Amino acid sequence: MIITKSEKQTFELGKKLAKKLRGGEVLALSGELGAGKTILVKGIAAGLGIKKIITSPTFVLMKVYQLRARTLKLKANKLVHIDCYRLTNAQAIIDIGAKEYFNRPDAITVIEWPEKIKEVLPRQKMNIKLSLRHNFNQREITLK
Amino acid sequence: MSKKNKTIILGIESSCDETAAALVKVEADSPRSTRVVAGRFKILAGVVASQIKIHQKFGGVVPEVAARNHVKNILPVVSQALAKAKIKPAKIDKIAVTTGPGLITSLMVGTETAKVLAYAWKKPICSINHLKAHLYANWLTGEKIKFPAICLIVSGGHTDLILVKNQTTFKKIGQTIDDAAGEAFDKVAQLLKIGYPGGPIISQLAKKGNPKAFNFARPMINSDNFNFSFSGLKTSVLYTVQKLKKIDPKITADLCASFQQAAIDVLTSKTMKAAINYQAKTIMISGGVAANKLLRQTMEAKAKKAGLNFLMPDSALCTDNAAMIAVAGYFTKPTAWQKLRVDPNWEL
Repeated sequence: MIITKSEKQTFELGKKLAKKLRGGEVLALSGELGAGKTILVKGIAAGLGIKKIITSPTFVLMKVYQLRARTLKLKANKLVHIDCYRLTNAQAIIDIGAKEYFNRPDAITVIEWPEKIKEVLPRQKMNIKLSLRHNFNQREITLK
Repeated sequence: MSKKNKTIILGIESSCDETAAALVKVEADSPRSTRVVAGRFKILAGVVASQIKIHQKFGGVVPEVAARNHVKNILPVVSQALAKAKIKPAKIDKIAVTTGPGLITSLMVGTETAKVLAYAWKKPICSINHLKAHLYANWLTGEKIKFPAICLIVSGGHTDLILVKNQTTFKKIGQTIDDAAGEAFDKVAQLLKIGYPGGPIISQLAKKGNPKAFNFARPMINSDNFNFSFSGLKTSVLYTVQKLKKIDPKITADLCASFQQAAIDVLTSKTMKAAINYQAKTIMISGGVAANKLLRQTMEAKAKKAGLNFLMPDSALCTDNAAMIAVAGYFTKPTAWQKLRVDPNWEL
């Protein structure tokens, strides 16, 4: 469990996490509104060398960012950012072709609100839970 | 007068939850000139089939449901537009269709339909960026546009500030770094449990509320760039709601009014800042959230005060429509229909 005390720290944690990614990972990011999921994704994207601004995919459900810096370690060439916030079932994720990216070696997939699409989530995934502590500036982040 | 100074364009739009077709007539200044001034665009017919009622119960657009309804609506919408305009397919000079950004399943329906029509009717077809088209909605106001202009495109999926150098040269100078403004309206409406889509409901309830009741964060209002952030504003509303012991209709109205005021303060002051910085002569707004009355009034007042021209399309042309797609089509080079592809992440 990690506690971050500011937006900056959550961002830096994402950056660090990105350095461990190779390709094919699915990161299931859960936490309530305002828990800092988007900030963590921004950090991950920065760690992967993405210069574009990462914006919320709530409206379009999925955004795909190309990775330029492919190294020997990093096999992936895209970051897939999925947001299931407004979904009531998993069908929509299949319809937009998002499921096809899961565990693909050339893609790193980050899913916000994964609990809404439980039935299609791959078994092989990294569960990241963000929760707000009583003091609104602190976040508890658990990785499984 | 040459025959070709008049162009009729069929626009088709299906990027999200509205299926739309429109016929727009463009008259060029002189037979040789391809450049027209604003004011020569005339909507012969515009038909929009909205799916808002269908998606209301889901609290947002469901891609599969949207696509299925687009399939059902698209041909009737196109033929209605043709009938309304009293135009035979032979009279159409060009077809313009939205190929991105948007929901991929929705985009496919309009794009594939347009390709088939282009093939069957032997018409040139061009691929249109939905955001660029929102900008071109301002060409339908009938006013002459003085460049450079700053355009605020604000909708459920986007919040962008665009520098418009001339009729065809645009540059994005700012954008949201997290949520779009419209998305914040939807999310706030959801956390107040007042329904979907959030924009119209919030602005309706806000009329009875006090915009100064709650002092919500106005993220990045003083930052030295032209970017926006609405995630923090939404969170600020959330924390306030969590701290309240009870929420009655009066408090809900106050929350709506205060939230709306905060969002509009940020949108308008950033737009003004950009206009001053780029010495713009005109300010324009477009996109679904630009249908918000208070935003329209506030932006107009601020622009007038600074001595700038102000343009805004009618509310019906701010939200998704096909007339703006047709206008964008006038300024876009055709592509072979075989090469037309949808791109859900297409940037301006």
